[in-house]
Amino acid sequence: MVNEAGPAGQKENRRDFLKYFLGGGLVAWLGAVLYPIVAFLIPPKEGEVEVTSVKVGKVGEVEKDSGTIVRFGNKPVILIRNPSGEFVAFSATCTHLDCTVQYRKDLGVIWCACHNGQYDLMGQNIAGPPPRPLDEYRVIIQGEDVLISKKV
Amino acid sequence: MTPLWKRLYDWVDERVELGGLVEYMGKKYVPVHSHSVWYYFGGVSLFLFIIQVTTGILLLLYYKSGEELAFESVQFITSKVRFGWLIRSVHSWAANLFILAAFIHMFSVYFTRAYRKPREITWITGMLMFFLALFFGFSGYLLPWNELAFFATKVGTDIAGVIPVVGKSVMIFLRGGEDVTGATLSRMFGFHIAILPGLFTVCLGIHLLLVQRQGMSEPEESGHDVKTMPFFPNFLLRDLLLWLIVLNVVAILAVLFPWELGQKADAFAPAPAGIKPEWYFLFMFQTLKYIPAKILFIDGEVLGILVFSAAGLLWTLVPFWDRETKRGRRARFLTYVGIVAVVFIISLTIVGWLS
Amino acid sequence: MAVVRHRSLQFVLWVIVASIAALTSSVSAQDQCRACHEALGDAPSTLFKNDIHAGMGLSCADCHGGNPKTEDMEAAMNKAAGYIGVPKGDGIVKACARCHSSAPIMVKKFNSLLPLNQAELLSTSVHGTLSTTGKEAIAACTNCHGAHGILKKVDPASSVNALNLPKTCAKCHSDARYMRTYSPALPIDQYDKYRMSVHGKRNISGDSKAAECANCHGSHGILSAKDVRSSVYPTNIPATCGVCHSDAQYMRGYGIPSDQLEKFTRSVHGVALLQKKDLGAPACNKCHGNHGATPPGVESISKVCGTCHALNADLFSKSPHKKAFDQKNLPECETCHGNHDIIVATNKLLGVTQDAVCSRCHGESQNPKGYAAAKGMRALIDTLESQEQAAIALVAEAEQKGMEISEAKFKLRDAHQARLESRTMVHSFNEERFKEVVDKGLGVTAVVREEATAALDEYIYRRLGLGLATLAITILVVSLYLYIRKIERRQATGAK
Repeated sequence: MVNEAGPAGQKENRRDFLKYFLGGGLVAWLGAVLYPIVAFLIPPKEGEVEVTSVKVGKVGEVEKDSGTIVRFGNKPVILIRNPSGEFVAFSATCTHLDCTVQYRKDLGVIWCACHNGQYDLMGQNIAGPPPRPLDEYRVIIQGEDVLISKKV
Repeated sequence: MTPLWKRLYDWVDERVELGGLVEYMGKKYVPVHSHSVWYYFGGVSLFLFIIQVTTGILLLLYYKSGEELAFESVQFITSKVRFGWLIRSVHSWAANLFILAAFIHMFSVYFTRAYRKPREITWITGMLMFFLALFFGFSGYLLPWNELAFFATKVGTDIAGVIPVVGKSVMIFLRGGEDVTGATLSRMFGFHIAILPGLFTVCLGIHLLLVQRQGMSEPEESGHDVKTMPFFPNFLLRDLLLWLIVLNVVAILAVLFPWELGQKADAFAPAPAGIKPEWYFLFMFQTLKYIPAKILFIDGEVLGILVFSAAGLLWTLVPFWDRETKRGRRARFLTYVGIVAVVFIISLTIVGWLS
Repeated sequence: MAVVRHRSLQFVLWVIVASIAALTSSVSAQDQCRACHEALGDAPSTLFKNDIHAGMGLSCADCHGGNPKTEDMEAAMNKAAGYIGVPKGDGIVKACARCHSSAPIMVKKFNSLLPLNQAELLSTSVHGTLSTTGKEAIAACTNCHGAHGILKKVDPASSVNALNLPKTCAKCHSDARYMRTYSPALPIDQYDKYRMSVHGKRNISGDSKAAECANCHGSHGILSAKDVRSSVYPTNIPATCGVCHSDAQYMRGYGIPSDQLEKFTRSVHGVALLQKKDLGAPACNKCHGNHGATPPGVESISKVCGTCHALNADLFSKSPHKKAFDQKNLPECETCHGNHDIIVATNKLLGVTQDAVCSRCHGESQNPKGYAAAKGMRALIDTLESQEQAAIALVAEAEQKGMEISEAKFKLRDAHQARLESRTMVHSFNEERFKEVVDKGLGVTAVVREEATAALDEYIYRRLGLGLATLAITILVVSLYLYIRKIERRQATGAK
């Protein structure tokens, strides 16, 4: 092939330039489209936020006469294992001014640190400012696992 | 050294005999005239549909149906999954643009009378796809199970229930029960990802096949010595150009105007004020509001729905009763009807949006 | 003529005696009931002698019915003549109300200023409900006023005189056996408590201005304290006490202020009770007692406030302030928070600035340790509050920009909680313990701010990404357009 110089040769260069431009543009475009799709396909580290039920752990891990706070969707839930070994769970949002309650082993009640509100182990408000009892949640024992599920 | 693509082509050709097909495609021409810009809208609709299928399948990998998990799974997609927000917003925006493009495509075909012989079947399948698209929108809207969608579905299926004789059965069929519940969600999900795509694909297949077989329709006035351009590569590349621009527009909308999620649906909460359906149903919704409660002995709502249904049916059957065009004359009357319809739809949509 | 004078004198005397006899007999002729019963010497007629009704010229028949003019018992105590015998139960109220609820009789005939609605009030009051016999109301007029020896209220011998009324009420209300028949749970110690109270002590010493039962509870229309309309329902108690206690004229000479009601209404307790109708907030009786009303002593104040504010009182009692306050005879909670005009405690109360209460005792030079502690704690809580505000603002911004930020919002609860807990912990007056609680909150706000900032960064990242992608597409679009043009030009020249 004769390498033509002059205006025809310049046209050749422009053609090549266009081809590179086109090819490069295509690659860039493919990257811009495929990158998000591929990133989307890789599952995120944080697992699905289960809101019907939350697995808390193994039965053996929760001590008798103790309480823990667990996140249930957007709300805190307090799981209590009473001295006889049974599990109960309630909303951990105090019905007074929304502080997070805790289990007081020494008092044998659910206690709110903000204004000394107290609830018994049935969730009933028994002392202090709380105007309403705590909502109850279901505790399900599946084999060795403790699960908390939506309110009763 | 034969290039890679040539080698691939030869390998397939030896087994499938693509020669005839390639020759046929090579001969395809697209008329070039003052109205040929409208030719692109079918392709744009198709492209947007492809975007919907793609993003829909991607969303399907993370979406969980059922009223317990639907909302939370969409929340998960938009917050935790990488680019989940993008895929979801693209899906929502492209849905609306798809229906808009379908409207424009349908009206441009109407005004240019492209539905006339031999393209009646193309028109029918196109109209079927149009209605399926609206149903796609309606069913998909409920899937995030948020407050707005819940009540919009309630209102929408209530209106369906007003149809005389069959209305109640239709409503129960749509809702999967008497009320809008988790059963409605499951049903809409089934419609949206299986039934509607299946039906749509059949119609689309027939539609595209016919377009390939029959080529593009030319407007009557253009005469027979009209300029043309080859489909390959000219029209196709222009089509692709437009598609790229559409993709960019969708991306810009998705990023700058992300689709909201709102609150999770609560069947026992009162309906928020000002519940409106999506814009493509708005003109009908607004019209129903204006019809007085009773006209003579008929319920206003029932009359409204019957009128709309009749209009839809007549519109779908236009190739068969458009006698003027059949006789080769300009159907001025139909043009006026079309203009009235467009103006009606646009103005009532605006009114509905503003109120 | 002596005989003539004698006879005229005799005649005159006879006329006088006859007329007197006639007059007296005409008086007794008007009320033969009394005449007979007085002769019998029975208690009712004896008592009736001093009765105010007798003084007004009323006869036995005016209540009992019958004919007071005839001596004949059968004719007098005759049903046909309207005789009703001894009215029992609800019949008593009916008999009294015949006059006492009638304007023509009370106002026109007797020019009385007495109210006319006592019977009506009684019938809807708690005393007007059915007694345990089921046959009549619990109390009738005579239970408190007596039957035959009724005196005016201002008469010191009247059973309903201010100085005697407590004893009258106590006749039933301190009788355990009687009250038990209505409910064994009813209190019967009101009278005993009352006697120990300031009001009771003054009442016993003869001060009729001091409050007695009717001043607070009403007299005829007494309602249960659980009844919303009652004058002793918690939301009404401040006004009831205020009838006397906010009347400066009335309270002159007692040596106590009369602005308590006004201060209370402004206070956080007053707003809660009177405006928000929060029954958890105290009315006067919650802190002062009701029947045993006494202002709490200096050392007792934290126990009184501590009934509700238990944590604060507990922390205070264990803090160095308790001993210091008691030594200086400073009332515990009241010194910093006030008693009636307690305002919402804000951060401003703590510290060494103008509005703060700490610097009242803890001067920079005299008491440097306390001064430093107050200043330090104020600085800490101010920091926590501003950090929390900043975190909330960032979260709101991210949310408004459409970023998903519910998890950070959830964490903000802990910051809010730390702030509330620290305000309680102030009462330990221990800067270290205070810092512990505040640091917990600061940790949370730091995390939330980080997450919100990350969300905002992501927002910008997305737009950058869009920009880059648009650039890529534009390059492709432009080059494609040029390519198309090239092809079409080639085709055009080829066709030529």
